[in-house]
Amino acid sequence: MLQVRNLHVSIEGQKILRGIDLDVQPGTVHAVMGPNGSGKSTLASVLAGRDGYEIEEGSVTFEGQDLLDMDPEIRAREGVFLAFQYPVEVPGVTTMYFMREAINAVRKHRGQAELSAGEFLKLAREKINPLGMEADMLKRAINEGFSGGEKKRSEIFQMAMLEPKLAVLDETDSGLDIDALKIVADGVNSLRSADRSFVVITHYQRLLNYIVPDYVHVLSDGRIELSGDKNLALELESRGYGWINDEVVPQAAAGV
Amino acid sequence: MPAIADRTDVYLERFNDALARSADEPTWLQERRKRAMERFLQLGVPSLKHEEYKYTDLSALADGQLLFGTRAGGAETALPSYAAGGASDRATGAGPQVLGHVPQGARVQSLAEALLSEPDLVQRYLATIADYEDHALCAVNTAFFSHAVVITAERGAVLDEPIQLVFGDGLRDSLPRVLIVAGRNSSVQVVETYAGSGAYWRNAVTEIYAEENARVDHYRAQVESLDAYHTGRLQASQERDSYVSSFSISFGAAVARNDIGTRLNGSGCECSLDGLYAVRGDQLVDHHTGIDHAMPHCNSHQLYKGVLDDRAKGVFNGKIFVRPDAQKTDAVQSNKNLLLSDDSEVNTKPQLEIDANDVRCTHGATIGQLDSEAAFYLQSRGIGADRARNLLTYAFAADALERIKLAPLKEHFESLLLNRFASQES
Ligand SMILES: Nc1ncnc2c1ncn2[C@@H]1O[C@H](COP(=O)(O)OP(=O)(O)O)[C@@H](O)[C@H]1O
Ligand SMILES: [Mg+2]
Repeated sequence: MLQVRNLHVSIEGQKILRGIDLDVQPGTVHAVMGPNGSGKSTLASVLAGRDGYEIEEGSVTFEGQDLLDMDPEIRAREGVFLAFQYPVEVPGVTTMYFMREAINAVRKHRGQAELSAGEFLKLAREKINPLGMEADMLKRAINEGFSGGEKKRSEIFQMAMLEPKLAVLDETDSGLDIDALKIVADGVNSLRSADRSFVVITHYQRLLNYIVPDYVHVLSDGRIELSGDKNLALELESRGYGWINDEVVPQAAAGV
Repeated sequence: MPAIADRTDVYLERFNDALARSADEPTWLQERRKRAMERFLQLGVPSLKHEEYKYTDLSALADGQLLFGTRAGGAETALPSYAAGGASDRATGAGPQVLGHVPQGARVQSLAEALLSEPDLVQRYLATIADYEDHALCAVNTAFFSHAVVITAERGAVLDEPIQLVFGDGLRDSLPRVLIVAGRNSSVQVVETYAGSGAYWRNAVTEIYAEENARVDHYRAQVESLDAYHTGRLQASQERDSYVSSFSISFGAAVARNDIGTRLNGSGCECSLDGLYAVRGDQLVDHHTGIDHAMPHCNSHQLYKGVLDDRAKGVFNGKIFVRPDAQKTDAVQSNKNLLLSDDSEVNTKPQLEIDANDVRCTHGATIGQLDSEAAFYLQSRGIGADRARNLLTYAFAADALERIKLAPLKEHFESLLLNRFASQES
């Protein structure tokens, strides 16, 4: 589904990603962990198409197409979704209006009929209730005055509405209490399917108790230094990220 | 300077014709017209050297051609009706088209009709509220207007539906003149719409008199031809406990200049002067507002928002006078602008003159660009770049649009705004 090859990215001349390789097969969940500043959000942003990044080397292919060549809205319509680490507040546009525009843009792109106001509302209610939010939220301006937890749940709601093929969740767990974390994880798990994949970016192992990944990658200083299964996350939890820099990186450099 | 004297010749010639045509008008009106003409000849069309017009070039109006010249009769540019009940059964002679059902207790009359039915009222207010002594453009209107509409609401009459005046193409609508007199405890809503095609100058004056505890909601929706000049003056005079709101929508015209003001003559008055302008290409839009707090315990609110694209220019000047007697005045003024291009610009200036000490006056002006993070957020959900831009533009204007209490008017301009800015000039 997604192939990232030798991806080098810089921001304003500063190298951030230094050769990322990542293969995501349909139906799999990949966790990307790593210390603050290691480049996790940069990777997510580059996948979603945010401006301001220079791709110095490498490629990203999504379902056989060059992802980096597409405008952000085309990526979204093709099925890439990013749950933002810091969702943006957009005063003056209601979540309802926003999501209806979005879902119809996506449906149009996929050759499906646009949803009527009634159909949209029915679908929105179905998707919003399990997330422990009221349909009233739809009438509020996008993320405006939302608590941290509400913002994160709103991201999951949007994902559920748009039914992407590949969802990248950037620290969707940060700032959530345990109940909210479970709600969010349930939301993600209910979307898991044989043809939908997830890249779950997180700083802590905690979320991975609820969204159990197939693969875990450790990002450090712009490189994936280590990959493994869910046990790697547990090891990181007990040993900390320092261990990667102290042991794994020197070993790799020495060719061990 | 002979060149300038030559240029006003046309006005002078036309004035003699106009006086001849209005020979059956009462003497007091003829006197006011003559005085207005005299003042206009002394003042002339304001040039860029005039402090109040330093960004707004009206030199094209100096020779009067755009006002009096024959105009190609283009297709009528229709604006939708915002009033219920379609065309009114109240005739206003050859004046503007009047839309809306006129309920009991209210009258919409031509000047000639009003001079017969309510001569004292007309004499008391017509050309006494909007000052032509110091305002050349108001003087031109006063000297030359041939048709006026007089809207009156009796004591206690509450008009649930708006009255809409449509000023379209044609010479008779070049100098719109409206007088609105709201009696004690009455409530009226008036919408004036301006639209046309081709090159012309429309110079409108509306006077509002709000008696004690009256309420007047006034809207002006200007979507003139992009080759037109539009100048307008709305001046209100308010007695105690009255409420006047004005909303100025300015989307059209090559050059638009609006002067909107109110004088609060009694305590307990409230006024809201709001507006929304959206311009592109080489358009210029200029709003000058003036609120005269003459008496204590009055509140005024102003929210003007502007969206500018391409090489468009915006001007906002908001004057607030707080006279020595006007203690406990609460005046709030805000002008916010969104620049969608590098070449658009705005000159915004609050002008507060405060001669009382126990007052609250706040003002703020901002000039900003689209939030690229917000645009990316919308795009990341599949919304196209142009659409995202339009949505954010609309969102920027949303709180101003909220102040339009007439749903059909609000919805019409909401949708114009949502579809206005594509990525290319068209
Ligand atoms: N817009 C930016 N301008 C300059 N440096 C940036 C910008 N965004 C991120 N960085 C830098 O890039 C590095 C990686 O950041 P980020 O991808 O946000 O890391 P993470 O999500 O893993 O915490 C950090 O050193 C950060 O300071
Ligand atoms: Mg991050």
